[in-house]
Amino acid sequence: MRRLKASSKAHDLRVTFRSAQIFLLLLLSTILLTAMAVRTRAQPQEPSCAQGLMRKSEAGTGTLLLRTAVPGCYLPAPRVAADFDIDIAGPVARTRVTQRFENPAEGWVEGVYLFPLPENSAVDTLKMKIGDRFIEGQIKERQTARRIYEAAKAEGKKASLVEQERPNVFTNSVANIGPHETIVVQIEYQESLRYDSGRFHLRVPLVVAPRYNPVPQATLVQYREGSQYSVFDPVPDRERLEAPVLRPEEGKVNPVSLEVRLEAGFPLGAITSDSHAISVVRNGATGAAIALTQGEEPADRDFTLTFAPAPGSDPAVSLLKETKSDGNYYLALIVPRGTETAARSRPREAVFILDNSGSMGGESIRQAKASLLLALDRLQPADRFNVIRFDDTMTQLFRTSVDATPENVSYAKGFVSNIEARGGTVMLPALLAALSDPTPNDRSRLRQVIFLTDGAVGNESQLFTAIDEKLGRSRLFTVGIGSAPNSYFMSGAARAGRGTYTYISSADQVQPRMAELFAKLERPVMTELSAEWPDALKGESWPNPLPDLYAGEPVLVTLKGTDSGGVLTLSGNIAGRQWRTTLDLSQARDAKGIEKLWARSKIAAIDESRVQGADPAQIDTAILAVALEHHLASRLTSLVAVDVTPSRPENLILSSAQVPLNLPAGWDFGKVFGGDTPVRQDHAQLNVPDSLLTTVMLTKAPPAAVQPNDAGLVLPQGGTDARLLLIIGLILLGLAGVLLTRERIARAGSRQ
Amino acid sequence: MTRHTTLLRRFALILIGLGAVSVGSALYIPAKAALAQVLLERAWAKARAGETSARPWSWADIEPVAEIEVPRLHQRVIVLEGASGAAMAFGPGHMENTAAIGARGTAVVAAHRDTQFSFLGELKQGDIITAVTADGVQKSFRVVETRVVRADASALDPEDGGPTGSRLALVTCYPFSGVLHSPLRYVVLADHDNRG
Repeated sequence: MRRLKASSKAHDLRVTFRSAQIFLLLLLSTILLTAMAVRTRAQPQEPSCAQGLMRKSEAGTGTLLLRTAVPGCYLPAPRVAADFDIDIAGPVARTRVTQRFENPAEGWVEGVYLFPLPENSAVDTLKMKIGDRFIEGQIKERQTARRIYEAAKAEGKKASLVEQERPNVFTNSVANIGPHETIVVQIEYQESLRYDSGRFHLRVPLVVAPRYNPVPQATLVQYREGSQYSVFDPVPDRERLEAPVLRPEEGKVNPVSLEVRLEAGFPLGAITSDSHAISVVRNGATGAAIALTQGEEPADRDFTLTFAPAPGSDPAVSLLKETKSDGNYYLALIVPRGTETAARSRPREAVFILDNSGSMGGESIRQAKASLLLALDRLQPADRFNVIRFDDTMTQLFRTSVDATPENVSYAKGFVSNIEARGGTVMLPALLAALSDPTPNDRSRLRQVIFLTDGAVGNESQLFTAIDEKLGRSRLFTVGIGSAPNSYFMSGAARAGRGTYTYISSADQVQPRMAELFAKLERPVMTELSAEWPDALKGESWPNPLPDLYAGEPVLVTLKGTDSGGVLTLSGNIAGRQWRTTLDLSQARDAKGIEKLWARSKIAAIDESRVQGADPAQIDTAILAVALEHHLASRLTSLVAVDVTPSRPENLILSSAQVPLNLPAGWDFGKVFGGDTPVRQDHAQLNVPDSLLTTVMLTKAPPAAVQPNDAGLVLPQGGTDARLLLIIGLILLGLAGVLLTRERIARAGSRQ
Repeated sequence: MTRHTTLLRRFALILIGLGAVSVGSALYIPAKAALAQVLLERAWAKARAGETSARPWSWADIEPVAEIEVPRLHQRVIVLEGASGAAMAFGPGHMENTAAIGARGTAVVAAHRDTQFSFLGELKQGDIITAVTADGVQKSFRVVETRVVRADASALDPEDGGPTGSRLALVTCYPFSGVLHSPLRYVVLADHDNRG
């Protein structure tokens, strides 16, 4: 009994002990299970985005997203659809561009759109349409306009600001576009058409091609007291020329429709476009209406339109007049006659420069190479030549120019055939090399530099200055390649280089356009051109002096005068012979917009005097006066339109976003934005993908989600749960094993 | 007594079940990662052949963008776009918001320490990492530094490409043998190698 009692006591103790053990095991496994549950629940839970922003997963297909300062949060990009309404009357055109800004986001947005216009466009009108009302834009000094716009933006008022970045690149900022709202802005400009080789050319640029902006250069300057670094930035406004560019696989945005009403004033021959499919409806002998066959096309290349007079009706002269309160404005376009018989000019020294930078990748480099091969074939044995190619490196084929012997030419053709597009666009060294002339006084040859490029650079003015300084007896001819060449660079470089420019926009343009260029290169040029206006007119004419004329080019001159009537005399010198023609001013046709063209021409002339070293402050004052007086947008004046009443509720934030642009047609994205360009120490900054990185700045940042900049990126989780799961699993299995063993022992014990 | 043992046995069975699931998922993770790399290999070959948006399997929401190789360690992995948890389950992810691999700036590629990036700890200064992007361009990077950072204070700036302009940062969890999620990350910095 005692024994039994003792055993029972021991048994009780054992039971208690086992119970405690089980309890402990249970507790442990509960803890483990809870830990597992917590693990599962702790799967990354994405924080929601700030107002107006969204995650990738929330966006529907076809929505373009811009990266923001908040990682993982995106802003649906504002979009712009544009319509061009163009009225051509003789050699001048007036265009109304309607830009529809559409905000697909849930929040309020400021849309910033970088867009091109013809480089000689006189932009004089801005209208913002809100509901049925039109708000007329005012011309203001650039800083003043910016201040007015910023104030309106802060107050929640709708506003539009059109600023000139380059003569052919503008920015339209539209503030306070509400969620899913569309704001319509209209811009109007005046231009004169280009006449060349018997045809009129209209070029409407539709996309700003990504520019290559050379890095600032630091120079160590020595003084007697010591030395210091001076920094020269060839593109001081670089960030204003950059916009996000879509990858080709993201599709095309920014649809454009376009309509041209043409009243030529002479019987029309062929009307063609090299860039787009067009439908032409004739309206009598002298008129036509032109539209895009497709209706809408993406803004990814320039629109070109060419029209020729009907055979036998070639107009030699256009003379237009506009009477304003402050005087009469004239525009004269004269095609020189009787100069075609002039003899072939002297032997030539031709230096070809081929831009093989990344922006030329794809279609452009093929066209450029084909053009250059054609030009090499055209060389005569008496000519001399050289070939330079450049990207962010440069090769000069021969140390100095060599005779155009069949061997040399065929060697050069082999060299050209093997060139591929890559790298940045460091233009200056190549230009300087081409303009360096070991025999500056050799009059037996014409020295011609033929420059094939798309001009996708931002340092135009630095290049113009260099051309002007180093030109000497050389003449510079630019050949604009591709679907969206920088027309400001093409025409400006040719003007500074006292040559002329040519555009080649597609492979089938190579032959005819190069043939026209050869005519200009080989036929004598008309120099010492001057226009004599009647004294009574007390006129002021631009451009002044008149540029040299190449084969097929007309004289284009504008004048402001007090009186009307009298005779205009034009004279020039071609191959040693005098050329002279007269025009009766009383025969001038009345036209609109001549005042604007005169003022625009004057601004261009004043601006170009900077290249020749005129005082920058004086230039600015002069341009500002002309621009304000004639209500024109310029480097120093902007157009601004502001709504009267605020529309954005004060408690809602305003995001700002650049409108994404298409990559110009035929461009190779990888070649422009890196991928295969070797990055060298000195050119480390050269690939300009900045525009692709950050595109959105929140004007009022939401407090929670902003990533501290100095702390760097937040890195993702870098380990899986595999090990933890394995350990938990093994412990659980182990516990089960212990329990089962215990149980077996217990059972064995109870059987005894 | 019998009641007690039955309860105990039942509980043990539950534990066995849970344990088996845990071990199973633990084994599934590396298996999935290994299988994904095989499928990714094929997608990568397609992407290299010029197929845009080559997806490794029909419902995949991930895309291979590059391959990274460390010749010295005989390691080669296919990198996916995006470093979300979903993408990183299959392979190293190239973080959105960082530079493209080989472009100007810093490209950040993250992977798990216990699968594709288990070799990261063996990388040392001077090692060569080669990267091939979908357009077939090969770039060499030379390891310049390894460091341990807090995940929220990495000091990595996607716009700063280091002295050569183009930098690659490989990231994984630290410590390598760790079991629990850690706030620390191991970062290998490699700069574009002009010689390679």
